[in-house]
Amino acid sequence: MADVVKADKLARSVVEGPTLMTGAIPRKSWMDIPVVFKPGNYCYPTNPATQGYLDRQPGVSFPNVREWNPEDEDWKLQENWKEIIINGLAERLDKFRSLKIFMDCCVRCGACADKCHFFLGTGDPKNMPVLRAELLRSVYRQHFTLAGKLLGKMAGGREMTTAIIKEWFMYAYQCTECRRCSVFCPYGIDTAEITMMLRELLHLVGVGINWALGPVTNSNRTGNHMGLTPQAFKGNIDFLCEDLESLTGIKITPSFNRKGAEVLFITPSADVFAEPAIFTCMGYLLLFEAIGLDYTWSTYASEGGNFGLFTSNEMMKKLNGKMYAEAKRLGVKWILGGECGHMWRVVHQYMDTMNGPADFLEVPKSPVTGTVFDNASSTKMVHISEFTADLIYHGKLNLDKSRNSHVIATFHDSCNPARAMGLLEEPRYVLDHVVDNWFEMPESTIREKTYCCGSGTALNTSEIMELRMRGGLPRANAVKYVHDRHDVNTLACVCAIDRATLTVLMDYWVPGVKVCGVSELVGNALVMEGEKRQELDEGLRTMV
Amino acid sequence: MKLVDALRNKKEQILSRWIDRTLDSYLEPGFFKKSKDKFANPVGVNIREGLTKLYEMLLASAGQDQYAEPLDQVIRIRAVQEFTPAQAVSPILELKWVVKQVLSADKDTRPLLAELDSFDCDVDRAALAAFDIYMNCREQLHKARIFELKSGNFILSDSGCPSALIRKNSQDKSRIH
Repeated sequence: MADVVKADKLARSVVEGPTLMTGAIPRKSWMDIPVVFKPGNYCYPTNPATQGYLDRQPGVSFPNVREWNPEDEDWKLQENWKEIIINGLAERLDKFRSLKIFMDCCVRCGACADKCHFFLGTGDPKNMPVLRAELLRSVYRQHFTLAGKLLGKMAGGREMTTAIIKEWFMYAYQCTECRRCSVFCPYGIDTAEITMMLRELLHLVGVGINWALGPVTNSNRTGNHMGLTPQAFKGNIDFLCEDLESLTGIKITPSFNRKGAEVLFITPSADVFAEPAIFTCMGYLLLFEAIGLDYTWSTYASEGGNFGLFTSNEMMKKLNGKMYAEAKRLGVKWILGGECGHMWRVVHQYMDTMNGPADFLEVPKSPVTGTVFDNASSTKMVHISEFTADLIYHGKLNLDKSRNSHVIATFHDSCNPARAMGLLEEPRYVLDHVVDNWFEMPESTIREKTYCCGSGTALNTSEIMELRMRGGLPRANAVKYVHDRHDVNTLACVCAIDRATLTVLMDYWVPGVKVCGVSELVGNALVMEGEKRQELDEGLRTMV
Repeated sequence: MKLVDALRNKKEQILSRWIDRTLDSYLEPGFFKKSKDKFANPVGVNIREGLTKLYEMLLASAGQDQYAEPLDQVIRIRAVQEFTPAQAVSPILELKWVVKQVLSADKDTRPLLAELDSFDCDVDRAALAAFDIYMNCREQLHKARIFELKSGNFILSDSGCPSALIRKNSQDKSRIH
């Protein structure tokens, strides 16, 4: 009862001054405010069995396997944890020239400060990208610059302490590496890469989250995030084909692990398994059937997503390498990629120097239109929206927009395809041809300036639901605007994490708006030869 | 001067102080207070809009059911931020304090302080409605968690290796035999 404010005291406080009620927060320098972990504001740490498994894998390292709890004072770090961190930072400064530049060149102009969805949702200054980077930069200054070594705090330096490790853990996992801030930085500092470094350094002392390393482990072991075995993976796709047959009368029998196919198709495993992503997958299946594409699925490269990107560069390289190893094994000509977000960041920004060039593949050429995708001449991987837009442009698809008459859509530019590969026009071109009614959200919230779903980089876990909702507020706020103004009822996107997390985000902020992949809308609108289509009031989602 | 006229005349002053106090509950409120762009500053602008609409409704003696919309605009945001339940809904009650401060600062309006009973009751009703909305929001969050668990995503992190499961099954079987 000690915490309950007495009624008379409460009444008096209303009259005399409200601080008792608002809990007005004292203003201190950010360096002097320690982080406090409580249920709901942190992700669960990695399960020791998961971390132990990963640490035993060749080429990667996840040491200091133990049970630990962020709420405890003692995080059970190694005895020489400080040396490990400083050496780890030195190694990375040497290895990644970008990191060294990002540490040195920020002039603290503040252009990024109010661009982060986590800052906009929390009002927490440490979520300003400039300050989040400062959490690392201050340690860099102290240990790696002359001014910092001589003047310490006066030069903006900070001695490395366990409190800083805790701060890093808190804020490296309140950044979705969406890179919106980078768009506004006059120096082009990629704050996402600073977060990536923070996460790598934390892994050196065994501080990581289960929602990142769980999918990494599953991908390493069975080939996909979900841990689906080859049989289950194939079984799920067969099941979707059965559904498609009863909906459209079209019988589809896709091939798996087929050597000699022209194209290998890779998409996030969520498309095969989780609602509402499965409807996007049904869209792919119908599209490929409609054009008679010579393609195969792989139960080995059964995941487009790469949570290694959110973990360490070695892990990212390993998981990315698997896609290309499988393309080589099957002897395909090129790879077609589904609606994934960060897979495309890995492919466009890192693949070439990690595992490329993929010389054993051919420059992708559409077998239907003859278009050569020169933009993918090194990675040999084409985005499904590019591929579909090209088909539409050449009049190769028979589309009936009225089959999407139940849809009033808007388009969410998924962060990575938009900012990491410049995929801005193709999905819009596709939408123009498959939906009668779709409306853009305000200019400052789309294209390169798109707001994140708030749950990327392995933050799509339930224990931080509140954090996800506040991080996703700027995106939801823009959706609400077009929902109120144009009765928008569908949020289309090209990312599997979006499809899962925006669904929950919409339920909270803008009820009445469903989330779908662009390919689902293509599947809805496709007129197929030999179809015996039922009345599908809700497209491929119709229950029959 | 009638109370309602005073509240109307002093509207800007009251709202400005009320909104500022509410936004001061954030660690770094400067941007939330300053930016008027709805899409760049969703927290600041939605709270400003919600509190403004609520104040206008209180002056117009609107029915309690009409409070829901502006209250939702404010409370839905605060329900997912790092506030205790009391801190989340307290801005609504603070209006009483702000009104008293503003009216007592002017000798013309000071005598009206004694007439605030009915207005205070309306604010209390709005605060209670805010609490209902807060609870609905929290309930929704829990439902969202359950939805995600049911959708099967938990196997992302909690499932065992299939081969380990097969091993475990065969061990269980051998124990039975």
